Amino acid sequence: MEENSLHPDKWVDRYADYLFNYTITRVNDREVANDIISETFLAGLKSMKNYKGEASERTWLISILKRKIIDHYRKNNSAKGQAEVKMNFPDSDNEGDWLEEKVADLTDMTAEDQMENRELGLAILECMDQLNEKQAAIFKMKTIDGVDTEAICNEFNISPSNLWVIIHRARTSLAKCLEKNWF
Amino acid sequence: MKGISLMKLSCAEAAELCTKAEYKETSLREKIRLKLHLYFCRTCKDYHKNNKKLSGLLKKADLKTCSSQEKEHLKNKIKSEHSQISQQQKKQ
Ligand SMILES: [Zn+2]
Repeated sequence: MEENSLHPDKWVDRYADYLFNYTITRVNDREVANDIISETFLAGLKSMKNYKGEASERTWLISILKRKIIDHYRKNNSAKGQAEVKMNFPDSDNEGDWLEEKVADLTDMTAEDQMENRELGLAILECMDQLNEKQAAIFKMKTIDGVDTEAICNEFNISPSNLWVIIHRARTSLAKCLEKNWF
Repeated sequence: MKGISLMKLSCAEAAELCTKAEYKETSLREKIRLKLHLYFCRTCKDYHKNNKKLSGLLKKADLKTCSSQEKEHLKNKIKSEHSQISQQQKKQ
């Protein structure tokens, strides 16, 4: 697999969960989060020709996502938000930076450990990239969505014992990946 | 001794039960067998501990994922937009 090139047909499978977590912890609304992600992907498609391959596909999509989240904040508290922007940054070149910081530390209104949890969540999702597609799908269904063992076994046509082996491997790999920073 | 050998568990089996236990899907019998194995096996005991920790982290992170319908929807949107854009580029 080429490291830095764009594959829009893989975007949803590869990044939707990551972008979704990134967004939902900031906007707290499923529907809004989905809209923002959809806008992000479409904006990504439109600016594909500007992609230089300097950043990874994920990083590139996140930079677009951040701008979309900022747009969302702007729309929501336009009057107050803009006054603040003007007050802090008379020089409009810096506006983007300031807003980006604001997106980064919207945790003002939440607790510090909520920020940590958010980072943890993204770290876990990033570690999940190391799992193969089937492993990741089964692990997610079982662990995050809490789907019944039987239902998963039926969907993937595997035995319960297979399922536990797959989950065991996924968990071992995740623990190893998270070990350095979180264990 | 027959009773004990029935209770005996290989490390691979113990790992499976460990995993199952994190999802609270072990039967009482399996719980006892696992406990016994963990009592004697350091490797599995460590694994068990790590596994618990991972469960704690997962719980803390409270991950949310898109549903498969939401994903399907996103995929369709990307597909149609992508083909539109490529068509426009061909025309130019
Ligand atoms: Zn053992």
